[in-house]
Amino acid sequence: MNWLRQAATIARRELRGGLSGFRVFLACLALGVAAIAAVGSVRVSITDGLAREGSVILGGDAELQFHYRRASDEERAVLEGLGSVSEILDFRSMAATGDGPDADRALTQVKAVDDLYPLVGRVELSPDIPLSDALADNGIVAHPVLMDRLGMAIGDALYLGTKRFTLRAALTREPDAGGAGFGLGPRTLVSLAALDGSGLVSEGSLFEAQYRIDMGDVSDEVLDATEVQVGTAFADAGARWRDRRNAAPQVERFVDRIGSFLVLVGLAGLAVGGVGVSAAVRSYLERKTGVIATLKTLGAEGRVIFAAYMMQIGVLAVLGIAIGLALGAAIPLAIGPLIKAQLPVPVALGVHLGPLLEAALYGALTALVFTLWPLARTEQVRAASLFRDVSGAVRIWPRKRYIAALTLAVVVLIASSAILSGIPTLALYSAGGIIVALALLIGAAWGVRRLSRALAGTRAVRGHPALRLALGSVGGPGGEATAVVLSLGLGLTVLAAVGQIDANMRAAIDRDLPEIAPSYFFVDIQPDQLPVFLDRVENDPAVSRVDTAPMLGGVVRSIAGKPASEIDHWVTRGDRRISFADTPGEGTRVVEGEFWPEGYTGPPQISFAREEAQELGIKLGDEIVMNVLGRDITGTVTNFREVDFSSGGIGFVIIFNTAALQGAPHTWLSTVYAEESAEAAILRDVAGDAPNITAIRVRDAIALVTEVLGALAAATSWGAGATLLTGFIVLIGAAAAGERSRTFEASVLKTLGATRATILTSFAIRSALLGAAAGTVAIIGGALAGWGILTFVMEAPFTFEWRSALAIVLGGSLATLLAGLAFAWRPLAARPAGVLRAQD
Amino acid sequence: MVLSLRDVSLSLQGNAGMVDILHSISLEVARGDTLGLVGPSGSGKSSLLMLMGGLEKATGGEVMALGNDLTEMDEDQLARFRRSHMGVVFQSFHLIPTMTALENVATPLELAGVVDAFDRAQAELQAVGLGHRTDHYPAQLSGGEQQRVALARAAAPRPDILLADEPTGNLDQATGEAIMDLLFGLRDRYGATLVLVTHSTELAARCDRTIRLVDGRLDTETVNAKAAE
Repeated sequence: MNWLRQAATIARRELRGGLSGFRVFLACLALGVAAIAAVGSVRVSITDGLAREGSVILGGDAELQFHYRRASDEERAVLEGLGSVSEILDFRSMAATGDGPDADRALTQVKAVDDLYPLVGRVELSPDIPLSDALADNGIVAHPVLMDRLGMAIGDALYLGTKRFTLRAALTREPDAGGAGFGLGPRTLVSLAALDGSGLVSEGSLFEAQYRIDMGDVSDEVLDATEVQVGTAFADAGARWRDRRNAAPQVERFVDRIGSFLVLVGLAGLAVGGVGVSAAVRSYLERKTGVIATLKTLGAEGRVIFAAYMMQIGVLAVLGIAIGLALGAAIPLAIGPLIKAQLPVPVALGVHLGPLLEAALYGALTALVFTLWPLARTEQVRAASLFRDVSGAVRIWPRKRYIAALTLAVVVLIASSAILSGIPTLALYSAGGIIVALALLIGAAWGVRRLSRALAGTRAVRGHPALRLALGSVGGPGGEATAVVLSLGLGLTVLAAVGQIDANMRAAIDRDLPEIAPSYFFVDIQPDQLPVFLDRVENDPAVSRVDTAPMLGGVVRSIAGKPASEIDHWVTRGDRRISFADTPGEGTRVVEGEFWPEGYTGPPQISFAREEAQELGIKLGDEIVMNVLGRDITGTVTNFREVDFSSGGIGFVIIFNTAALQGAPHTWLSTVYAEESAEAAILRDVAGDAPNITAIRVRDAIALVTEVLGALAAATSWGAGATLLTGFIVLIGAAAAGERSRTFEASVLKTLGATRATILTSFAIRSALLGAAAGTVAIIGGALAGWGILTFVMEAPFTFEWRSALAIVLGGSLATLLAGLAFAWRPLAARPAGVLRAQD
Repeated sequence: MVLSLRDVSLSLQGNAGMVDILHSISLEVARGDTLGLVGPSGSGKSSLLMLMGGLEKATGGEVMALGNDLTEMDEDQLARFRRSHMGVVFQSFHLIPTMTALENVATPLELAGVVDAFDRAQAELQAVGLGHRTDHYPAQLSGGEQQRVALARAAAPRPDILLADEPTGNLDQATGEAIMDLLFGLRDRYGATLVLVTHSTELAARCDRTIRLVDGRLDTETVNAKAAE
């Protein structure tokens, strides 16, 4: 291995030259690694926090949840055998400032708790009084948002249904909020005992009963055993088990998804950085051509040269990755308090090894992928280079073994991102997208060079020296077109894709839904309240349409003999609102099979939504077992319906024939389509007649969804912003690298009689041309990526959003223009004599 | 006088402080004259040529070209002046690498607003024997060919003054001689004033006069008999 020692000696001597030419190399690698390490660290901090504080988030070691019913005495006895049990009822209701028609009303998520609540953790109130005192004697505590919305102060009366409560404190911290999932209204807490006689929770009402169990200091094995035991004991109860290890599945899933997605965006950033890394290495090796040729003249073999430069780049890559890891570990700690304030779950901030290793792996592989090609070409440098001018020489391909190694590195990089991100399909799509975008950008750079070359030679540009100079510079040999278009283009493509997705989702919500969506969803309408309710809304001239349907809750237990727990689909997850009907109803389109005849009383039949049936692999004739209020009902799927959930109207995945469920306690759901000006009056009258009816204002729900989407878009925009920042650094690097040639060019042009304005105009035109090329590819690439992700991942329609696209092109052109101009001053100010004169 | 330098000095900032390059130089060059500047390396001859072309600014004295004081002009005024009256040839050719030979030659004509810039550039290239290589980039041309393109570029605007800074310094003897023939031929054809910096006493002897510089000062001035014949 003498040759390796020789290579190491050469590498060590060469590195004494310092790092001056490698700032962009280090910045690109460090930034990419830092972004991935930071996102990964935040994700692990949250998931670790969830794991560590699982019992606090859940409110106990374990929880058994019943849908629309409370546990029977026998069931309760089984649970109490496991430890101390706390009972909680969770439901939506209207909170009102009074019981008259003029009272202000707002939707609230009510939690009715017993004396043991919370079993774990602590409720924080303002003023700081014990929860038991606050809830005693029909007391209530409310989230500050609800108090603001209703303009309430401590001591005021607050009505839930017909029941009058007294507001005793603001709820400033709810320890188990993270496990509660997505709620449409702010939280209120009341005592379970106070619900008696309120009419808020009755048979058929939509509520969840949760039984939290404090099992003492038990191991995970005991929890596993208990889960099995409870599963057997409550096999037919339609209850759902959770324990401290998966306390906040929704938050965990959300953080996992968004974290993985951001890591992918980070990988795109690393790819952009790779372009800069590659450019820096190429330019370094070009400067070293003389040294390499000299070494060859002195007898160094190709492999010694390759290894020597590989070692140098390796040392630099390790340095860049180390800087990135240090930043990636420090950023979450620095912004920790901000993250903690934004999330309803505990965050275990600290340095986490896993995400740092993942980021280091990506950094190392990216450095390898983007430097192997130029490094491999060092073997091809001939000693003869010393004796003749090799500028403009023909590009030589590296040897096959290097191409094979490069291919392997790309495959390993893609495979690791697919495996480690946890979202392999999206990772593979992203990798494909990046490769396609790079290919498009290389093609675009080639195209813009050819086009500029062709245009520079046309008669049309003759007599316009600034334009011809710019076109000549972009199209001529040795230009910076490829580096600029690649670095900026890839960053802009990621930003454009995020922009297209964001704009499409916002457009879908802002534009389409409100036009066709109802004003209100009224839920919990008791059967005896329905005639009064319908009388009010159907006779209002401002109401254009009223739809009603019976509704009750159920849990899918099995589909075609396969247990629901083994099927991962939203229909089989948690409780499902179902309905029953005698006829298909107006506007319903049965697309396959036959809807049962009116008055059908035979064995239970099911009408299933077509799209969901396809996703679940359900065929006509399959049997579905559903647990409805503790009773298993087996129905046969006899037809499929077209259900459009995006219309915002009533849409049930599962509808039984009336006779199958008519006896079960149920409530009615109604959608009311009214003019906006009439909405307040309708709410006032309905709530006045029947305070237990909950009204969900669709506009408010949409605003909430928009807000959540906005937060998502902001997170991804930050990710894309980091990518763009890397792109900008690469761009600056390219502009800086071109400064010498521009100084020379400016000096020659001044000698030939060009004014500074002409030279500056020429520089500006070439920057704008390259920026526009990068922006154009970004639009095409971004639109394709946006279309792909919306169509195949989000299953949403795609419309090309012009405004977002235009902003990208303008931004791209402006960025290159600024970078180009920032590096134009020195060339413009240079005295020609200093650059051009002979050494005398 | 086409060129008139009075008490000109030049100091430049070096790593170890200000370096005096030229000291109190005064000389005159008449229309149509050819002047050779010779001297050892570091004597300041190239710097003097750069001052004459307005490519460097004198730190003292007056540099008059065609009656204009170059020391009073800003960068753009100097550029416009050169565009109409001067052609410069360098030792290292200094062609713009991203332009073809034809484009390189057409550039000063375009900058001067000449309507048929490309036709004239084509004719100039033909005159230096490169009519068949107009679409080649500098990297595709030999050193001699590159210098011929540079000559064509300098001569294309029909300048009053031709300044050449060691134009054969990077070429072999035969090519160098051919280039000098071309340079003097162009000068003869257009009647321009030529100032030539060279190390070669033979080349200098082709000029009407030769001035020798030593340590930034005028040392001797010779009127060449061969040229005078």
